[in-house]
Amino acid sequence: MEARILEFAALLRRHGVRISPAESLDSLSALQGTGLPSRAIVKDVLRATMIKRAADLPTFEEIFDLYFSALGDAIRDSTEQAAEAVGGSLADYQKLLEQLEELLKRRQEEQGNELSEIARALLRHDDGTLERRIREATESARAGPGQRGKQEGQLGHALGEQLRLGEIVRELEGLSDQLEDLGADGATAAKLRELIKRRLADLADLIKRAARLETTRENPQPRDATGLETLAEKSFYYLTEDEIRKMKEAVTRLAQRLKHVVSIKRARAKRGTFDLQRTLRHNTQFGGIPFDVQFDRRKKNRPQIVVLCDVSDSVRNVSRFMLQFVYSLQDLYSKVRSFIFVSDMGEVTKLFEEHEINQAIDLSLRGDVINVFAHSDFGRAFKSFHRDHLAAINRRTTVIVLGDARNNYNLAHEWVLRDVQRKAKQVIWLNPENKTTWGFGDSEMDRYMAFCDVVEECRNLNQLYRVVDRLVLS
Amino acid sequence: MFSTIDDVVQQFTGQKYICSRSIATVVYLASKMGKPILVEGPAGVGKTELAKVVSRCLGHELIRLQCYEGLDEAKALYEWEYGKQLLYTQILKDKIGEVLAGTGTLHEAIERISAQDGVFFSERFILPRPLLKAITSEQPVVLLVDEIDKSDNEFEAFLLEILSDFQVSVPELGTIVARHIPLVVLTSNNSREVSDALKRRCLHLFIDYPSQAHELEIIKLKVPEVADALAADVVAVVQSVRKLDLKKAPSISETLDWARALALLNVESLGEELVNDTLTTIFKYEGDVRKAQTELRDFAARQKARARTEGQPDPADKDVLH
Repeated sequence: MEARILEFAALLRRHGVRISPAESLDSLSALQGTGLPSRAIVKDVLRATMIKRAADLPTFEEIFDLYFSALGDAIRDSTEQAAEAVGGSLADYQKLLEQLEELLKRRQEEQGNELSEIARALLRHDDGTLERRIREATESARAGPGQRGKQEGQLGHALGEQLRLGEIVRELEGLSDQLEDLGADGATAAKLRELIKRRLADLADLIKRAARLETTRENPQPRDATGLETLAEKSFYYLTEDEIRKMKEAVTRLAQRLKHVVSIKRARAKRGTFDLQRTLRHNTQFGGIPFDVQFDRRKKNRPQIVVLCDVSDSVRNVSRFMLQFVYSLQDLYSKVRSFIFVSDMGEVTKLFEEHEINQAIDLSLRGDVINVFAHSDFGRAFKSFHRDHLAAINRRTTVIVLGDARNNYNLAHEWVLRDVQRKAKQVIWLNPENKTTWGFGDSEMDRYMAFCDVVEECRNLNQLYRVVDRLVLS
Repeated sequence: MFSTIDDVVQQFTGQKYICSRSIATVVYLASKMGKPILVEGPAGVGKTELAKVVSRCLGHELIRLQCYEGLDEAKALYEWEYGKQLLYTQILKDKIGEVLAGTGTLHEAIERISAQDGVFFSERFILPRPLLKAITSEQPVVLLVDEIDKSDNEFEAFLLEILSDFQVSVPELGTIVARHIPLVVLTSNNSREVSDALKRRCLHLFIDYPSQAHELEIIKLKVPEVADALAADVVAVVQSVRKLDLKKAPSISETLDWARALALLNVESLGEELVNDTLTTIFKYEGDVRKAQTELRDFAARQKARARTEGQPDPADKDVLH
């Protein structure tokens, strides 16, 4: 048992779940405490002692089911499902099985040859035999030459051959055709045919599961254990769907980390200078002896933020993560307003108030607020911002513009940025393009740069993190 | 002490707390192994209640430490009672004079005083906060550290020491070792990730929204005055509403509140107009209420249709006839 649990822990680790040796020891002593537990209790115990993050739960469930004789359970499950599908209660099903048994006996008397062992086990729901035969087949497939590193499909095929699946199918289909000849009436024959079809499907399913179990054991797929680092350096331009999903998680985690750092720094900064007045007043209760020294509490100086995100195709990913970042850290700011633009400017602050972050981002990028399929026109968008939303900016506001400044040779209207800079605390421009390409072609970066306090290249998660980090602490 | 996992389930049911087997397993293990339980899950699924029920079942006192941002050792562990110390020195001035009588030099006086200084930094002047209370208690206790995710990282690190060794060191008094290892329950709403170090020392329990059957059982137990049919409807609606995209999905405590409210108002079916006004008991946001109203209307319509096909007279129709 112990060896099995430790192997299970190792398997989980290979799938990216962090389990310390202390935790696997815990699980062992916990299991000892429960005496001779059922499979379900073992599962509960292992879950409680090994899995400490809700995110790891699905992995655990999956691997546990695969690792701890899911085969037996699967076989039992399929019996129940078959009963349900063929119709009626378990009692009816039982009767049907008895009828089948009689037919089989008659068949043997008439034709003299018996069905193969597996086919019989399959029809009679002899779960023990089925499980044993599948296991044997898996084992010999494992021992066989060149079987290591096989794909699930290939292995399933090999298992099918081992079990002589083809013959079983022929046998049972033959039986299916002979039902009436053997003396079954129409309704029963139809039901039995359905039953046989189902059981064949079940067998195929079981073989597939056995193959999956085997391949999972052999080749684990580590779930983003080390992936974060490489992901963090990857340019936003080249993300795949899957990477975007992972990136979302990464951003959440980074935001979390940043929050911790900030909370520590703020807690340290909370103590201000010695406050004589309050110390005297507070310590009158101790007879004027200054037991409890009072300090000035520094006012929390939480920045206000206005984000202008270009959401045209070329920079959409960056905008997505920037928005996610800003909103994950929302409670560090006193106010966040966000706008998105392509050639029009639209406010999405409300979307973020009403929806969960990721959903709000999806909504804003989908084109409900502004037309996201237009050609970028920074000048036009800026002008409408100047007209409608300039009041959003005051001297405590940090304005973040996120965009590549590729203006399709339209008017730049950089005077908007000048006005904004005059009113705001600072203007930060984040450009997801490589610095060397700024100002070339239709890039208006040079014009805009003149009215920004900070201009940063922001092409991957690490750069984004650094920017946000500075932003929170400034 | 719980003897088996089933025993936990039974005792909990006796305390009107319906729990799944996985919850019972973890509680059983925690009491056997002396390990803290870290409970995570959405708000209102009975995380805090779990600790209370455990304390009632075991007959142990429950000591609760509510965490918040800025919680520090002085509020969680102990504090010296400066005021009392001062007061005592004032009152005992004469006595101190007596003690010092006959000392010739300043050095001698200090020696004499320092021989006595243990008096002022003794357990008499210490103000135990929940953690120290839990450790020094004569009787075994259940310690509930509520919403650990709301506290600062520093506090979490400090808690680690206590949870692993069950001892604290007070510089003036030395190390205080727990007489009994308390059963510790930590709860977290996941507003931030609790550190791995803390998690590693705990048994982890994730409580999610209950299944439909489970929730119905809970309602029947906790709000017996509600009619069975209505209870079933309430649970059905809540379960389907949870699947909607809400800002704050209703949890068990809200379901219970709603059931209680409906029972108070003598509501018999969810089709009634009155029900709309009670929705605020389960939804905390205006937008959510609106979404739920649509869902409720659909539900009522479905039910009406079902009632009609089953040939039962619809109460609403009857009203029209009168």
